[in-house]
Amino acid sequence: MPVVTPTLALIIFAAGAAAGSLGALLGLGGGIFLVPLLNLGLGFPISVAAAISLATVIATSSTVTAGKAGQHLINFRFGMLLEVVTAAGSVLGGITAQFVSQAALQRLFAAVTAVIALITVARSNRRNVIADTAVAPGVLGGRFFDHESGRPIVYRIKRLPLAIVVSFIAGNVSSLLGIGGGVVKVPVLNAGCGMPLRAAAATSAFMIGVTATGGAVIYYGTGQLLPVPAAAAILGVQVGSWGGLRVSPNLPVRALKLLMALVLGVVSTLMLVKGMR
Amino acid sequence: MKAGDAQLEILIGRVLRLGVLTSTVCIAIGLAIVLISPHSSPRLLDVGILVLIATPAARVALSIVEYALARDWTFFALTSIVLLELIGGAVAALVFHRKI
Repeated sequence: MPVVTPTLALIIFAAGAAAGSLGALLGLGGGIFLVPLLNLGLGFPISVAAAISLATVIATSSTVTAGKAGQHLINFRFGMLLEVVTAAGSVLGGITAQFVSQAALQRLFAAVTAVIALITVARSNRRNVIADTAVAPGVLGGRFFDHESGRPIVYRIKRLPLAIVVSFIAGNVSSLLGIGGGVVKVPVLNAGCGMPLRAAAATSAFMIGVTATGGAVIYYGTGQLLPVPAAAAILGVQVGSWGGLRVSPNLPVRALKLLMALVLGVVSTLMLVKGMR
Repeated sequence: MKAGDAQLEILIGRVLRLGVLTSTVCIAIGLAIVLISPHSSPRLLDVGILVLIATPAARVALSIVEYALARDWTFFALTSIVLLELIGGAVAALVFHRKI
C-alpha cells in the first residue's frame, strides 16, 4: 500500500480529474477508469481502489443529476424502479467483496470491461431511437428535447425484465469492482430496452449514486475506504466531471460509443495481465 | 410523466447539490489540514465522506415523502424498499466494523 504524500495526493487528484471528465462525457461514474489508475497505476489493492472509486461515483452521480435535473433527460421513475434491484445487488456485492481474492477481482474486472467493449462496438451503429414522436411513452417511458437532432424524442421502455436482471448484475458488479455499474446498464438500456443513449446515460448517472452508496457504506465499515486518497480522488473527479458535463451535449453518439469501447479494451487487457500473475 | 414529477426532479437536484457542496467543502478543507500537518485528526475528512455517502440516501428518503404526499403508493413502496436496502448495507458495515 503506497504512503499518501502530498505528491501522491496530487497524482490521485489528477487521476480523478481524468476519470471524472471521461465519465461525465460517457454518462458513467468514471470508476471504470479510476479503478485501473489506482490499482495498476498507483499500486493500491483493487478493493481499496474500488472503495475510493465508489466514493467518487457518488459525487459524480450527485453532481451530474443536479446539473441535468429539469432537462427531462433523466427518467426518474424508471431509475427509481431499477434502484430497487441495483441497491440489492450492490449491498450483496459489497459483502461478497470481503471474501474474494484480489486476483479474482482483477480477472472479473477484465472480463466485465471486455464484454462491455464488445457489446458497445457491435451496437455502435444502432440508435434505437423511436422516431415517431406521436408514440405514448407509457408509465415508464419518457420524452426529452434532443439537442443533437434538434427535435423532441419520445420513447417507451421495452423488455422490462431484461432491465431488471441487468440492473441487479450492474449493482453487484458495481460494489465488487468499484464502478457505478453504468458501464453495464447503459448499453443494455440503449440496445435492449429502447432508451435513447442520452436518456439511458443520464438515468444511469442518476441511479449509480444509490448503487454506489450500497457498496461504499460497507467498504467504509471495513476501513478500506481510506480517507486521504479518497478525498484527493473525489476532488479530482468533481473538477473533471464539471468539465465533462459542459462539453457532452455537443458530441456525436457514435464517437462516444467507439471511444468508450477503445478505452475499455485497453483497460481489460491490462487488468487481465495483472490478474493472471 | 405526472405533474408532481417535475417538482420532485427539482427538489432532488437541490438535495444532491447541497449534499455534494457540503461534503466537497469538508473534504477540501480536511485534506488540506491533513496534508499540511500529517499528525492532525482526519475527522473533517470523515465527516465529508460520510455526508457524501448519506446524500443519495437522503435523496431516496425525500422521494419516499414526496410520493407519499402525492399518494403514489407504488413508487412510495419501491423507494421505501431502496432505503431499507441501504439501511441493510449500513448494518452489514457495522457488523464488519466490529470484526476488525
